[in-house]
Amino acid sequence: MTRFSIDIWGEMCPIPLIKAKQKLSSMQCGDILVLETEHSCTSRGIVVWAKANRYIIEEKEVANGIWHLELTKTHD
Amino acid sequence: MSINSAFHSQRKWNIGFILFLTLLLVLLSQISIRLTLITALGISLGFVLQKSRFCLVSALRDPILIGMTQLTRAFLLLLGISILGFALVSWGASQRNIPLSLNVFPMGVHTVVGGLLFGIGMVLAGGCSTGIIIRIGEGFAMQMLAFFGLAVGSVLGERSLKSWRYTFGEWPGIFLPDIFGWVPTLILEIIVLLTLWQLARWWQKKQLGE
Repeated sequence: MTRFSIDIWGEMCPIPLIKAKQKLSSMQCGDILVLETEHSCTSRGIVVWAKANRYIIEEKEVANGIWHLELTKTHD
Repeated sequence: MSINSAFHSQRKWNIGFILFLTLLLVLLSQISIRLTLITALGISLGFVLQKSRFCLVSALRDPILIGMTQLTRAFLLLLGISILGFALVSWGASQRNIPLSLNVFPMGVHTVVGGLLFGIGMVLAGGCSTGIIIRIGEGFAMQMLAFFGLAVGSVLGERSLKSWRYTFGEWPGIFLPDIFGWVPTLILEIIVLLTLWQLARWWQKKQLGE
């Protein structure tokens, strides 16, 4: 179980999601991808996408307007 | 601990903004009630839009890009509610003989061209018109650039609309309630929206392989 993170700071939709998808495909099952964004729609979009794909996702608004996401890859 | 303090530091800003807006509305009400109501409505709409995180770009882009149709279906729901609201207003107006002046124009080739241009622009900019304004409010510097483009584009479009319509012509305007009557039109439109809803669900299931 490894923790990965990618830099999506300041990126507009849909770039963060595409980057996350790319990173996720190179990860093993059980690995965690950490994402941080200041874009509310990006955060929402990734959460909805992860849930639809049956990944485990945790969303936390760590400060006003900053979201911290932890995505666990549960399957290939 | 740091999380709570981050939120706490925002509280005085929030109270400050509420105070400022209340004072602004009180001040405006001294000048014109109409202006106050319009401002209050504008502020409320902006607040709801921002909190809803509704994104028209995402609704139209995500089915193709990542196979998600949640927002697309939300958009269809929005259309359904708008249709009912529009019907209610139009029907009420015709009952009381209030003339409605609507900015509704027939379709033409220029509609398609404009739609394509706007669509490309909004995906590149990451926001439709309201989305851009919301994100400027949230503090995205890049969206100010997009807003500049939006303003320039709107002015150019408005100025050149006549020549577009003249060059390409328009299809005759159709107002469905005039042909079928109000109730059948509403039923027809809701059926179309429900079909699109089912199509969107089917598309997501197919794309995500559920």
